[in-house]
Amino acid sequence: LAGPPSPPGQDPHGWRVPVDCVRANELCAVEPSCSSRYRTLRQCLAGRDRNTMLANKECQAALEVLQESPLYDCRCKRGMKKELQCLQIYWSIHLGLTEGEEFYEASPYEPVTSRLSDIFRLASIFSGMDPATNSKSNHCLDAAKACNLNDNCKRLRSGYISTCSKEISATEHCSRRKCHKALRQFFDRVPSEYTYRLLFCSCKDQACAERRRQTIVPSCSYEDKEKPNCLDLRNTCRTDHLCRSRLADFHTNCQASFQSLTSCPGDNYQACLGSYAGLIGFDMTPNYVDASTTSITISPWCSCKGSGNMEEECEKFLRDFTENPCLRKALPHPPPHPAPSSRGAAPHKHLLPPGNAIQAFGNGTDVNLSP
Amino acid sequence: ATFGLYFPRKEYSENVYIDQPAGTPLLRIHALRDSHGEAAHFQLCQNLIVSRARSHENHWFQIREKTGLLYLSKSLDREDFNMLSVGNWMPLSKVMLYVFLSSHPFQEKECDSATRTTVFLSLINATAPACSTLTARQLCFMEMDLSFHIKENKPPGTFHQLQLPSVHHLCQNLSISYKLLAAEGMPFRYNENTTGVSVTQRLDREERERYELIAKCTVREGFREMQVEVPFLVNVLDEDDSPPFLPNGTDTADAVVEFNRKEGTVLATLTVYDADTTPIYPLESSRKKYTGTIITDDPWISETFRVEHIFDEIHFSPNGSQVRGTQHEYKLVLNKSISVTEHRSFQLDVLVNDTEFHGPERSVMLHFNVSILPVSIQFPNMTYQFTVNRNAERFAQIGKICIENCMKFRGVNITYKLLSPNVSCYPVSILQGREGKWGSLYVNDSSVLRRPECKEIQYTIQATDKQSRKHTKTLLTIVLEGTLLKKEEDCPDSCAVSKHRAECEECGGLGVLTGRCQWRQGSGKGITTNYSTCTPSIKTCPDGTCDAIESKDPAVCPQDCTSGNIIGGHGKGTGNLGIKSGHGICYCFPRQNCYCEKDDIKEQLCDEVCKTVI
Repeated sequence: LAGPPSPPGQDPHGWRVPVDCVRANELCAVEPSCSSRYRTLRQCLAGRDRNTMLANKECQAALEVLQESPLYDCRCKRGMKKELQCLQIYWSIHLGLTEGEEFYEASPYEPVTSRLSDIFRLASIFSGMDPATNSKSNHCLDAAKACNLNDNCKRLRSGYISTCSKEISATEHCSRRKCHKALRQFFDRVPSEYTYRLLFCSCKDQACAERRRQTIVPSCSYEDKEKPNCLDLRNTCRTDHLCRSRLADFHTNCQASFQSLTSCPGDNYQACLGSYAGLIGFDMTPNYVDASTTSITISPWCSCKGSGNMEEECEKFLRDFTENPCLRKALPHPPPHPAPSSRGAAPHKHLLPPGNAIQAFGNGTDVNLSP
Repeated sequence: ATFGLYFPRKEYSENVYIDQPAGTPLLRIHALRDSHGEAAHFQLCQNLIVSRARSHENHWFQIREKTGLLYLSKSLDREDFNMLSVGNWMPLSKVMLYVFLSSHPFQEKECDSATRTTVFLSLINATAPACSTLTARQLCFMEMDLSFHIKENKPPGTFHQLQLPSVHHLCQNLSISYKLLAAEGMPFRYNENTTGVSVTQRLDREERERYELIAKCTVREGFREMQVEVPFLVNVLDEDDSPPFLPNGTDTADAVVEFNRKEGTVLATLTVYDADTTPIYPLESSRKKYTGTIITDDPWISETFRVEHIFDEIHFSPNGSQVRGTQHEYKLVLNKSISVTEHRSFQLDVLVNDTEFHGPERSVMLHFNVSILPVSIQFPNMTYQFTVNRNAERFAQIGKICIENCMKFRGVNITYKLLSPNVSCYPVSILQGREGKWGSLYVNDSSVLRRPECKEIQYTIQATDKQSRKHTKTLLTIVLEGTLLKKEEDCPDSCAVSKHRAECEECGGLGVLTGRCQWRQGSGKGITTNYSTCTPSIKTCPDGTCDAIESKDPAVCPQDCTSGNIIGGHGKGTGNLGIKSGHGICYCFPRQNCYCEKDDIKEQLCDEVCKTVI
């Protein structure tokens, strides 16, 4: 409607650059008026909903003062030191300010500004070939090889694979908690040019797609004896600061928008892929539901069975994974002849693939936003 | 429970542009009634929610209390825009407003009515577009799906207006008309004059819970005509208006307690259906909604039994369309283990209550015919006799001792004991098997086997039930046979150490039955459970479980019990114990590592005879 929006990073009216909440908390602590107000506000928020809080004059005053402090706009970075502490500070303020159960929550993480093409540049160095030209190669296998050539990636990958495949007893197939932790370490500490290639490799045959599905050892980290209801799962996730933050980040960066060429917010594929990977290792771990090569369906381990009158809301929540034009539901059939490489030359607008982060990653295309 | 008036949508959305004049209508909000004669009053809360819970006083938007029309009361200039998008790094800022609903005129700005809907306004950083630049889709419908919910059993009413007030206001020279397709025979009506869509009768979710229509829009501009069709969905919300009922009238089930007497055993299950939905989220409230209570004044019954209630969504088709219902299962479960001496039968009644249904048939009675049978602790009427080879080594497994039906027992703990008459010859001991079902006999002192004066040894075996102290006895005869073999020099004490068939079969080791280890020849196909290995007895080792006797000493069967490293291609067993599968030949040094590897050293092809030929 309004033409292409300005890409993030270009700031039309100079807002304050957010500091991280740990730092903001330190800044607030040395300033008596701020620290006492922050304490007051936390007491106000403890176990009360927004409206009763705002009805109290003292609470309202504390809130007004804090709106001007760096605490109010602080954010966190993914994988930063003291990430959990940072998120605890963030939610200590924001949990009481939102109206409770909102469908979409704003991400507490700083926006991602790097572009997909940086990863491709690195990716092609490792593969030693252009991913778009070689039609016979198995990209998922190449990704595993590339990971094994890097000490850090190899160590953390074999770490999570052995943790997730360790049988505990005849009844307990593996320790899900430890497996999730190992997966989080892998995705937090290994550079994304390795992890994304493993997770989002493009496939032309079933063996490759099965390898892609198996990347996160789904029998331990994903599947469970029973499928919970998605709203129930969301609730469980929201009781945990980290999971809640990652889910909010996913919603912020992958929410399909009709305002852009690619269906992704700000045309930023990288941010969406990053927040998808950021969900792995939590209750809301998403994965490929099967090894199909023609259509990609992604979903957390839940269903909308038993939603009662909340079925509409449940399906809306699930559709953000299963039918999300930004994350993209269907892979196109492989082209009949090798497609020319789209990198290097600016692609023609009408030749652009339909917007979708996973597919774009697999094809090695990036969106060119030149007007 | 009455809800009063309600909104047919959870949220609404619209775009707002810079410098749109005051008085511009934005969107129309509808409310549906709970009972006849209610009139809706709409009101906005004082604050806008900008990004991240930051609120801002609302100076720009107002709603008509009676009609629900949201409009601009003050134009937003660029400065307002900048103020409202502070702290928002997304390229598109949104503000949120809450619209409240009441059946009485509002006295003041109340912000705490339970019934509210959310309006998202996207602030577009540009002036309003010219009508000619808008696509038909943008002229006709908002981005959001046309999806509504209507409660069952409520009076009819108008719940949506297809025409977009903002577009209608902006593009007055365009002719935009709508139609509702696929609506024949459905309880909805489209009014062309107001473009309103109304529901014409009370709906019943148990008959149909989803209506899928199509909204069609035609835009005419001179000779040009454009058409757009979008899905128009109506979901019917459920309320508890159906009583529980029994499938085929089955309200009785038999529950027999015999060999399985363990706490947690499910004895019988009865099913109750309900045409209403039962949400599994949040679970606790649904559990309270549907109760199952044991009706008894006998404290023993209420201590010994409990009822477990699980429910699941099922589908039934009243007239071709699929409707969700609920299947409740009530399971009669043992709350504690029952003694083997207990003997009684009675009828146990469970009252199932649908607490939210307001009608006479809100409850059903379920009956369980419970029979608790006693079980006898006795040996099958025979005496046990085992022969043991004199060359057997310590921890050799001789056989199993088991009272009648012992393998069927659950929750009954039997202890097996040997009462020895003559203490001089006492080579065997007994160990409890898993879950106290059987006893395993094994050689405890192999030096006794070598003594010539010990030939035939008589034991009495006693089996005792832990709980009731009931016990039973039988005779056991151990016959020693075989001639003593000469012990090989420098043999390891564990069979598992041997790597080759030849050295395996000429040595003994812990746990062997006849003085010599046995060789298991595997299939040799990659990593397999059938790997080659040397073992005291192929029957018990490796069999994938580290049993009570094997776990007495790590040298008996490391293939089942090792917790150390395994070097080579392998798969570990359950609980990280033992080698479940291996590549080639697996051998172990007890208390150290195990190795699985392909054996490349071929057996000698030539013996003495063939050498002379060459």
